[in-house]
Amino acid sequence: MTRRKIPALAGILILFVFLAGALVGQKSEAPAREADDLLAARDACTSILVGKDASADGSVMTTHTCDCGACDWTWRHVPPADHKPGSVRRILHISQYQTWPPSQGLKWDLVKKDYAGYDIPEVPHTYGYHHGMFGYMNDQQVAIGESSIGNQPKMANSTPSAGMDLTTLTLIAMERAKTAREAIQVMGSLAEKYGYGFHDEGEMLAVSDPNEAWLFEIMPVGPLWTPKSGKPGAVWCAERVPDDQVSVCPNESRIGEIDLANKDFFMASPNVVSQAVDMGFFDPKSGKPFNWKKAYSPQPGSAASTNGRIQRLWRFFNVVAPSMNLKPETANMDLPFSVKPDRKLSLQDVMEITRDRSYGTPFDPVQGIRGGPFKNPNYYRQTRVIDDARAEYTTVTQCRASLPGPIGGIVWISFGSQDTACYMPFYAGVTELPRSFAVGDHWVFNRDSARWAFDYTDFHVQVVYSEAIKDVLAAQEKYERGAIARIPEIDKQALALYKKKPAEATRFLTGFCLNNAKTVVDAWWKLGDDLLVKYHHLFLYDTEKRIYKRGQPAAPDWWKKAVRIFDILMEPDKQETRQGGRP
Amino acid sequence: MKHPSTILILAACAALLTAGAAAGQTVPKVGLPVLTTSAGQSTDVETLNIVMEEAGIKYDYCDVPTADMLLAGVGLGGRQSGPGFHVEITTDTAKFPAGTPYKAVFIAIGASLKGMGASGLTLDSEEARLKKLCEICKQKKIFIMAVHIGGESKRGAAGSDNERMIDAVAPYADYLVVTKDSNKDGRFTKISKARNIPMAEIEYALGLVDIVKQVLL
Repeated sequence: MTRRKIPALAGILILFVFLAGALVGQKSEAPAREADDLLAARDACTSILVGKDASADGSVMTTHTCDCGACDWTWRHVPPADHKPGSVRRILHISQYQTWPPSQGLKWDLVKKDYAGYDIPEVPHTYGYHHGMFGYMNDQQVAIGESSIGNQPKMANSTPSAGMDLTTLTLIAMERAKTAREAIQVMGSLAEKYGYGFHDEGEMLAVSDPNEAWLFEIMPVGPLWTPKSGKPGAVWCAERVPDDQVSVCPNESRIGEIDLANKDFFMASPNVVSQAVDMGFFDPKSGKPFNWKKAYSPQPGSAASTNGRIQRLWRFFNVVAPSMNLKPETANMDLPFSVKPDRKLSLQDVMEITRDRSYGTPFDPVQGIRGGPFKNPNYYRQTRVIDDARAEYTTVTQCRASLPGPIGGIVWISFGSQDTACYMPFYAGVTELPRSFAVGDHWVFNRDSARWAFDYTDFHVQVVYSEAIKDVLAAQEKYERGAIARIPEIDKQALALYKKKPAEATRFLTGFCLNNAKTVVDAWWKLGDDLLVKYHHLFLYDTEKRIYKRGQPAAPDWWKKAVRIFDILMEPDKQETRQGGRP
Repeated sequence: MKHPSTILILAACAALLTAGAAAGQTVPKVGLPVLTTSAGQSTDVETLNIVMEEAGIKYDYCDVPTADMLLAGVGLGGRQSGPGFHVEITTDTAKFPAGTPYKAVFIAIGASLKGMGASGLTLDSEEARLKKLCEICKQKKIFIMAVHIGGESKRGAAGSDNERMIDAVAPYADYLVVTKDSNKDGRFTKISKARNIPMAEIEYALGLVDIVKQVLL
């Protein structure tokens, strides 16, 4: 050891302590295997439910952050229809994940080839609705959000004996249900009769109407089920969120003990307990009450014990009801089903929760050096926050009892990462969705696809996140909050037309929504262009003054120190020999 | 009314005839120990394992066994599960001590990019792994039963991920068991005839329970 190296090593020791704190700053990592499994199974969509007396405007709200990263994002409107007696409705297998190259066609045309082998009796009239990966809003104001929750492994039924996938169930619910309760009964009874699973396993749906929000969970009953068995081909349960409360599902089963005698708050399939007994998940002689989630989809761990991997549940409750002072160390399965928020939530509050990044919590993705010099929350993905850069799209649905179906229901849609996107309203009565919402995929850049406009902006934000996000916030203020502000006047005009002639109201709403969407999509293409110009070469280009500032955006001093510390810590020898050149 | 024992005998004969008709050919008898695994990492292998449990048969399972692990016999050489790699040893080691050569390998065919991704595999590497595994089975005279229970919807078009898995395994099989839905286009029947591989068609995965009993017990 040379004398020159001694002080350097002493410095390294001190700096190591400093950097270790900056790098870790949290409790020890979860065991590798547990963390790996959790990442795979519990890292998808988040769905929020808001009761009518828990919202500022009396609307029942649900959300769905459709977090996939490789799925289809396209949307379609299905018009209402009348059907002749004896008509049948063909059942298709529809995968949440499967995509096709655009050259082969669009998903919603191609899935028609995947006949599940069942044609069920059609109803005389099917309602019109909007759908993406799932059905989201019909013209009766029945709305849906989704989150995968998984189930005990032996419950999975990926065999063709399971005729119903989740997507198919939601589409049929849209077609047939006038209330949330009807939607649950439609989906539950079809799954029991024709079997549930195939592409899907345990799933949660947030099912709402203008009066109620229900949290519905459904699971397959194993691969050995056959329609000839005479037993239900699915097991399901639903619990209503109290009107003055809110709930959330972040890829975890949420229903605990159930009281089927309380029909206003619980619904279930006839095998809700017996299935668990038959499969060995519940012992009725144990003396313990039956607990749905513990039997069918147990999820050990807490936000703290998993180092933030499953922190969304705790985080949501902590955001809406900080007065409850819920602890991240509390096991997720012990957290409440729903809570009364400290204050009623507005539409904008709910949208912002879908953008939550857990800033300022022990799971802050930009604390220390995690986010790099420009505090990019997408660099550090150990923590699973509610906002997800992989989102295909996100929905916020509103069901409003004070207005007729076509006007009362709104599904707000944003594409891509929630923080850099913009919610656009589509009333339930809208008879057409933008063409740009129906095309595009992840593998072919497409300027005709609305989704790519938002990815285009999102991409250019990543370079200097802390600076560029300010431009996005300004655009959101103008276009998203601008649209929210216009809704009362649009409602008023639509209602006046509706009273005279409902078809005129739907034409008016369609025009408003299509025009607004086009304006927003165009604005986001331009925003992407502007960000590219403004921050290219990592300098700040002032397009009005036609000057650029080489020192801006400036990397903060703490970052420069962190870089020096890293160099000394990780490559001390190279500090003495590096002579420049390319890395 | 006929005597109950007569009815039972008739019922047993009918069951045997039905099983024979379902198979179209005699069900091979192989015996234990057995390894279950996947070709393509879809969840169909979980169905296969549930079938084994329903049949009351103890087995070893590995989602991505290598040739060395296969040759290590019961216990798979002591390999343990890890991220993207799963092992389950339930074989009765009192009867079949660790290292006992496997008599049979049951392979559930079904491609899942999600499953392959989780195991760190690509289509090409999965194909290569399966080719080697099947070659070792042939060399060591280990019986291969290839199972396809995913149905028509998961078959995919020619050249699809799933079809590549079928091509990688089915021609090497000593016995094919497929659901009718999986064989709507006669793909497996063609392989069976071309390679002279006995084949059984079943309606549902439940039908596999009796077959694994007949093959292994």
